[in-house]
Amino acid sequence: VYYHAPPPVKAIPCLTPFGMKLETYLRMADIPYEPMYGRSMGPKGKIPWIEYNGEAMGDSGFIMEFLNREKGVDLNQTLSDADKAVGRAFTKMVEENTYWYEGYQLQYCKLHVDNFDQLQDLFELPWAVMFFLRSVRGKIRQTMWGHGLGRHSKDEQEGIIEKDLRAISSFLGTKPYLMGDEPTEVDAAVFGQLSELCWANHDSYLHRIVTVDCPNLQAYCSRIKDRYWSDWDQLTKKTKKDQ
Amino acid sequence: MNSLRRHLCSVQRFSCRVHHIALLRTAWTCPNRTSSTGHAQDKSMVYVHQTGFTKPGLVPSLTPFGMKLMTYLRMVDIPYQYSKTFKLGPKGKIPWITYKGQPMGDSGLIMEFLNEEFGVDLDSQLSDKERAISRAFIKMLEENTYWGIGYDRWQENYSHLGQLFDVPSALQLFIFPTASRKVRQMLHAQGLGRHSTQEIHAIIQKDVWAASEFLGNKPYFMGEEPTAADPTVFGLFAEFLWTTPEHSHLYKLTNEQYPNIKDYCLRMKEQYWPDWDEVVGTKR
Repeated sequence: VYYHAPPPVKAIPCLTPFGMKLETYLRMADIPYEPMYGRSMGPKGKIPWIEYNGEAMGDSGFIMEFLNREKGVDLNQTLSDADKAVGRAFTKMVEENTYWYEGYQLQYCKLHVDNFDQLQDLFELPWAVMFFLRSVRGKIRQTMWGHGLGRHSKDEQEGIIEKDLRAISSFLGTKPYLMGDEPTEVDAAVFGQLSELCWANHDSYLHRIVTVDCPNLQAYCSRIKDRYWSDWDQLTKKTKKDQ
Repeated sequence: MNSLRRHLCSVQRFSCRVHHIALLRTAWTCPNRTSSTGHAQDKSMVYVHQTGFTKPGLVPSLTPFGMKLMTYLRMVDIPYQYSKTFKLGPKGKIPWITYKGQPMGDSGLIMEFLNEEFGVDLDSQLSDKERAISRAFIKMLEENTYWGIGYDRWQENYSHLGQLFDVPSALQLFIFPTASRKVRQMLHAQGLGRHSTQEIHAIIQKDVWAASEFLGNKPYFMGEEPTAADPTVFGLFAEFLWTTPEHSHLYKLTNEQYPNIKDYCLRMKEQYWPDWDEVVGTKR
């Protein structure tokens, strides 16, 4: 399995939550893979994507289903059907609702002049890319408008995403993983989204929710990181900037 | 059908002017105007605004969020009045309401506001964990499954649109292709539109499976009592059941594959919309 994704940066092994999700899944399922870092887009114009047996595939959800079949893996095998249904609901909530927070960030916060330094530092983006991101802001705003989340004010968006996070926190409770004692597929998806909030968004309001208001979320993220990402520090230190 | 689509799309060249009018319309978000029905507004009444373009005999609202909002109002016994208008709400969405002279958009935010204003809480009997599950399902249905309707109605079963919207055929030639293209752009932005038809069907089928599985044999989505998830679930699946042609994938999902959803919708309809026939049958 050749895994294509943007390269690790100082903040986090992968800037896109779907990359974190897919790579975490590969590690959970013990599927050997070779990372091919780059910025090329996959067959559906999305990243991450994989190449397997010469065929390119896009969309983390489909990739996971395909690999489940191909490699005979089922992270959900201990779950009842009703639990699988709940797992899907949470997966879709974080991927289709909470995920758009990234768009909001780019739209409002991150591209303001005072945050430029932090953004550039965290993500190690060259000046040219920063300039490009600024000009692309309009397109991002349009995308968010079309989606629906972009029509809300900044406070409303934060309120919506905060409710998502609190819902995950309530559901998680004191359990080690979302559905119980062992990790399942939904953990890959939720960790994918939450890891960005934990480690790639230091000054934001939502970072406070994940760490201070709902500490079980941060504990949960650290748990998964310790178990499946023992090479996190190696990956994030060995970046372009340091070489 | 492909050649018909091509023909209709070529008409788009002449629909520029109509498109500009549509843009003007979307800019026309009316913070301070009264409803287009012109009557003096009762300050304590909730006025639910929709375009009223639905063909008689179908559903009270062609948008699941309209169904959701009106079902919610009925569930919590908040009196409302339906108001037909061309204007889009403050967020450019429908449905929207006016209450005490103030317009408000987005069904979710409206419900939160009315909950506080009228001191109601459909989720009062739920534990925190159950509320979390309820939210997850609501978000899945509203942010993912919802777009399945967008794809089915505006792309896959485009030819069926004339059965849904009460718009003169001459206007249809201009409006439908423009709207369809807009929906396609939104689908692409949201992500679902980047997949093939088969893949989209697979995604939506999984969502419907999840909802059906979780619902099981329960009378309401979360259990024995109705909660805030029910307006969303009913609102969405009402569209699947009653606005799609029989060969549509969405129709088959709810009518054949997951009959507990159909039974649930019929129960909700009977309980909260006893005047359904009157509401959908009369021309507003």
